[in-house]
Amino acid sequence: MAEPTTDVLPAVSVRDVTRTYRRPRPAPFRPAPLVAALRGVSLDVAPGQRFGIVGESGSGKSTLLRIIAALERPTSGTVHVEGNDITALPERRLRGLRQRLQLVFQDPMGSLDPRMRVGDIVAEPLVAQGHAAPRDRVAELLQAVGLSADAANRYPHQFSGGQRQRISIARALAPRPHILVADEPVSALDVSVRAQVLNLVADLVDELSLTLVFVSHDLSVVRRVCDTVAVMHAGEVVETGSTSQVYDDPQHDYTKRLVSSIPTLRRALAGVTARDLAAGAAGEVA
Amino acid sequence: MTAGATGTVLRVRDLAVGVRDTDLVLVDAFDIARGERVGLIGESGSGKSLTALAVMGLLDEGLQVSGSVRLAGVDHDLVGADDRRMARVRGRHVAMVFQEPMTALNPTMRVGDQVAETMLLHGSRGSRSAARSAAVDLLRQVHIPDPEQAARAYPHQLSGGQRQRVVIAIALANDPALLVCDEPTTALDVTVQAQVLDVLVSGAAARGAALLFITHDLAVVATVCQRVLVMYGGHVVEAGTVQDVFTRPRHPYTAGLLAASDLDAVDDRGRLRTIAGTVPAAGHFPDGCVFRNRCPNAQDDCAVAPPWTGPHQASGYACHHPVPAVAEVGRG
Ligand SMILES: Nc1ncnc2c1ncn2[C@@H]1O[C@H](COP(=O)(O)OP(=O)(O)OP(=O)(O)O)[C@@H](O)[C@H]1O
Ligand SMILES: Nc1ncnc2c1ncn2[C@@H]1O[C@H](COP(=O)(O)OP(=O)(O)OP(=O)(O)O)[C@@H](O)[C@H]1O
Ligand SMILES: [Mg+2]
Ligand SMILES: [Mg+2]
Repeated sequence: MAEPTTDVLPAVSVRDVTRTYRRPRPAPFRPAPLVAALRGVSLDVAPGQRFGIVGESGSGKSTLLRIIAALERPTSGTVHVEGNDITALPERRLRGLRQRLQLVFQDPMGSLDPRMRVGDIVAEPLVAQGHAAPRDRVAELLQAVGLSADAANRYPHQFSGGQRQRISIARALAPRPHILVADEPVSALDVSVRAQVLNLVADLVDELSLTLVFVSHDLSVVRRVCDTVAVMHAGEVVETGSTSQVYDDPQHDYTKRLVSSIPTLRRALAGVTARDLAAGAAGEVA
Repeated sequence: MTAGATGTVLRVRDLAVGVRDTDLVLVDAFDIARGERVGLIGESGSGKSLTALAVMGLLDEGLQVSGSVRLAGVDHDLVGADDRRMARVRGRHVAMVFQEPMTALNPTMRVGDQVAETMLLHGSRGSRSAARSAAVDLLRQVHIPDPEQAARAYPHQLSGGQRQRVVIAIALANDPALLVCDEPTTALDVTVQAQVLDVLVSGAAARGAALLFITHDLAVVATVCQRVLVMYGGHVVEAGTVQDVFTRPRHPYTAGLLAASDLDAVDDRGRLRTIAGTVPAAGHFPDGCVFRNRCPNAQDDCAVAPPWTGPHQASGYACHHPVPAVAEVGRG
């Protein structure tokens, strides 16, 4: 696993990124309110790093990912992916980026076209890039995510939630990306399926030497898959560090509240109650 | 029912829910005692929500239901009761909190009025003004900041966590004997979840209300509940105190769930432990033991449905080849 060093070009480098959205006007002659979704975010992801982003709902995690994947432009600031400033690239030059960096979303059903066969879904990024999609590449991808080759002929609704998430991972891997970006990929899944998908992600990241950027609201999940984590709060990164360090010894007040409100089996069996978690969430020292 | 006197709030017997010729839920028996907090866990598709909906009398028209569901203070069986009778039971003797608060709230009505309305509907407050001030009180009890102001807000003007607290206030409004919660905090951030769970537990405790609490999250169950029912393939496969079931599981399914949800425990390859395979679609579970096609302990005799082993419905498991009891392993 590559360690971040100063002389290695970062896989992803985010500098002073802001993103402001305009909400609909509340009344005809009132100004449209502005939402500062990102307020100056900077971070570096080294090649081979497994980088987690955690934070509460609305903290700007998905906005940041969409900007890293060039699905959206920042209001200000820059994003470099493997040395290229993607914020400066015109739309037609983003194809190269799409090949290097692929996205997996939370809701596998929402991101899989129900009318397409799984084989065509998986081949879609290849076809979009003008490649022919050989059947054996599709079979190989399905096998890599633990599905049988005959899955290619079926439709998404014929699969369980965990299997659908495997399909979207297979699709993301099709163009042989270096960087896999996942937005809450296991949040909609059962614990048992979650374990299977997390193992799959860990296996693929190892085997294919991928750089992983993994967004989750669940710090315990991020701790499992990522070596480094950035904690976001209200559009800012408030703390970055190794996951174990951030989890075991949080520094920022928000991270402390986040960590002490996580229910765990061990703590619950040792007598930690909902009251205790709520006190932790409120910042009262437990 | 006599159960009230013995301290039982809910008594479920031979509950069967099905669609056409497919069984979806087949629960032999479980009871919930007055003020008791019971968790209901199991993978997606295990039948948790159908069980909850059967208790609430809210099953889809198309589903067949049989058996018996008795609630303290209600002089008839809830199974087979018509809508008119169930409307008198729901919101009064038993109330429900769902995952998505907006499904329970009226978007065009101020939240304070919605809380007050529930009380007026069941006659637990005499006048509109008494109900209004009781509603503000309740909003305060569920820790909604500035409750007088919040009572005048519409649901969309509140955050997700605040809306779920309003739903809890409505659920508690008539001091029900039982609160059924189906994934009440799954959509919330952990910090908000902690506060909502606290409000739920303390609100129920203050009224002596029992809790039937459904979630995928074993850590949440362990934090909130005293006892737990493990469900798979429509059956309760194991039951017991949270301490017993979560530290000394006997059913291989429970052991698998615990292992898979433990994000700190990994195998020698550094990978999380998983349960083999996936939950079959309804109607495709094996006969005999429903778990046997995924079970590491399965043998030929599992083709015959395992009987319940244990002192009573509140503690035991249904398995021919259980995980050895820890004490035996320790001594052996
Ligand atoms: N297209 C948009 N138009 C207006 N506001 C937006 C838009 N997208 C996001 N926002 C706002 O920007 C903020 C950040 O949203 P974002 O989706 O990035 O958060 P998140 O951390 O991913 O949250 P979640 O955990 O709920 O997915 C929120 O206040 C959101 O309402
Ligand atoms: N109205 C219905 N008609 C037919 N089948 C149904 C109906 N409702 C539920 N089922 C099926 O019954 C089984 C149990 O469903 P249920 O919703 O109780 O599961 P659950 O344990 O609550 O799962 P989850 O954790 O996903 O909420 C599933 O296989 C489901 O597809
Ligand atoms: Mg998001
Ligand atoms: Mg359910």
